[in-house]
Amino acid sequence: MPKQLLQGNEAIVMAAEVAGLKFFAGYPITPASEIIHELVNKKHIKALQMEDEIASINAIIGASLAGLKAMTATSGPGFSLMQESIGLAHMMEVPLVIVNVQRVGPSTGMPTLPAQGDVIQCIHGSHGDYFPIVFYPNSVSELYQYTVAAFNAAEESMSPVILLSDGYISHLYETIVPHRDFTIKPRSRPPLGTGNRHFTGLSHEDSVPQTSDADNYRRLITRFREKQQMTARRHNYYEYLECGKETDTLLISYGALSRAAYYFKNDFALYRPIRMFPVVEEIKSIAPRYKRLLMMEMNMGQYAHEIERILHRDIEFIPILGGRIDLKEIKQKIYGQ
Amino acid sequence: MDNNSRFKRYLKLDLLPTPWCPGCGNGIALKTICQAFDELDLPKPGTVVVSGIGCSGRSAGFFDLDSVHSVHGRAIPVAEGIKYANDALNVVVVSGDGDLLGIGGNHLLHAIRRNTNITVICYANEIYGMTGGQVSPTTPHNTKTLTTPQGNPDYPTDVQSLFKHRNCFFARTTAYHLNHMKKCFLEALKFKGFSFVEARTMCIVNYGRRLGYKNSNEMLLHYKEFYKINDNAEELAQNEIGILKSTPVS
Repeated sequence: MPKQLLQGNEAIVMAAEVAGLKFFAGYPITPASEIIHELVNKKHIKALQMEDEIASINAIIGASLAGLKAMTATSGPGFSLMQESIGLAHMMEVPLVIVNVQRVGPSTGMPTLPAQGDVIQCIHGSHGDYFPIVFYPNSVSELYQYTVAAFNAAEESMSPVILLSDGYISHLYETIVPHRDFTIKPRSRPPLGTGNRHFTGLSHEDSVPQTSDADNYRRLITRFREKQQMTARRHNYYEYLECGKETDTLLISYGALSRAAYYFKNDFALYRPIRMFPVVEEIKSIAPRYKRLLMMEMNMGQYAHEIERILHRDIEFIPILGGRIDLKEIKQKIYGQ
Repeated sequence: MDNNSRFKRYLKLDLLPTPWCPGCGNGIALKTICQAFDELDLPKPGTVVVSGIGCSGRSAGFFDLDSVHSVHGRAIPVAEGIKYANDALNVVVVSGDGDLLGIGGNHLLHAIRRNTNITVICYANEIYGMTGGQVSPTTPHNTKTLTTPQGNPDYPTDVQSLFKHRNCFFARTTAYHLNHMKKCFLEALKFKGFSFVEARTMCIVNYGRRLGYKNSNEMLLHYKEFYKINDNAEELAQNEIGILKSTPVS
């Protein structure tokens, strides 16, 4: 397999094709638009530009129920618009892949610059309790690899899987080997139009809405959580680099920013979650080896709070805001003057 | 099953009764849809119903077909996704005026533009019934509702105007005019392209009784007296029901 120079967004498209993508609906938004630009030229994929992100997510829900592997791609503002229907897809158990190429927010923010501000929105953006699987690669070749994983996890869990990227990784060009050596999960549920099933956003049991049965709802949510955790265990992705020399510090980062963290690998141990949610269990056994937990994110501590909550201990936190990743500045913040 | 009850094969009879109030017009529309399905002999595997949220949204679950009860306002894009994924399916949206014209109005605008080959049946009862009786996109001017205690200051959406100069199908009918309603549904289902039926249905509990109607029958009789049939209209007047002459895009 020859090497290819690919942009991050192009790698997502190539991998989606390998994973069996057949239907895409989206709405133009920087920095995710290259994904739809690429897809409209694919012969065996139906790719539509809809009137907004709400229509896009609902169209892929329809297409997925009708039997096609389906995906949408957006950035923060569009991701916010999709939240209600992401909840619907969890309730109706619809396999989907949602790519969110993050940019600086809130609101229109800084559209061309990378951020990591949608981390918590991934798991709490819709109302009610649901348990999404979220991946966040940090290179073009990883975008390729984990796009396929996202499609497989969606089929295994029968739920929407979120693939996080950011304006940096998605616009980065790197050479990768776009191999096809994957096991691809087929669709397991018969498509719409073959039976008399009722798919509903209401709490339900065997196709029948149950709007006042607390026990049924509790069973439903418990089953959803167990299903998501079971699927997540099969996709246990993280990177842990022990330091060559003695260190008491573990530096935690992910996505675009984790590429800057590699600079510190001779001073600190490094930890990088790739499966962001459900949080990788191994952090519970890795973290106690270090006296000092240092974390940097391109937000005000969204994932740090999550890690603190899970480890029951404080984290030293460095926010890298406004889309600027400046090694000199990071060094200054880590080592002080 | 005799011919008159053959429509029941499209319903999950064991789930009846519906959650709708006594006197509600939705049941009339639901039955008439099934009669139209039966007359066209729509294949049961091969037909899908999609609905949004509201009283009307609960229709989908009563069809003995694969059905989707989506979120508020988004029945049309879900239905379009299904149709684009599998063109062989008959895809029918059944939802309300608040769902299709209010929160979901943008999607209607664009489904008309795309002329997606689906049928949309809108139960237009002039009110948000499920939430207690708030003003809706089809509430007439000056009408009192919970949220317009001084009377509706606005005018209702002129749905048919969206269809002008588009090669789509539009019809308006009422729950009183049963044969006409069936005819509209049949024509809409047969139409190749986007078809929309605005079916006037009565809501006595959260609308009519506040306007002084004693019962649902009085509301039906109002439809009888107020609406005249005009089935080959360039444009339907306010007091007309009928089928708009399709105007192809030139």
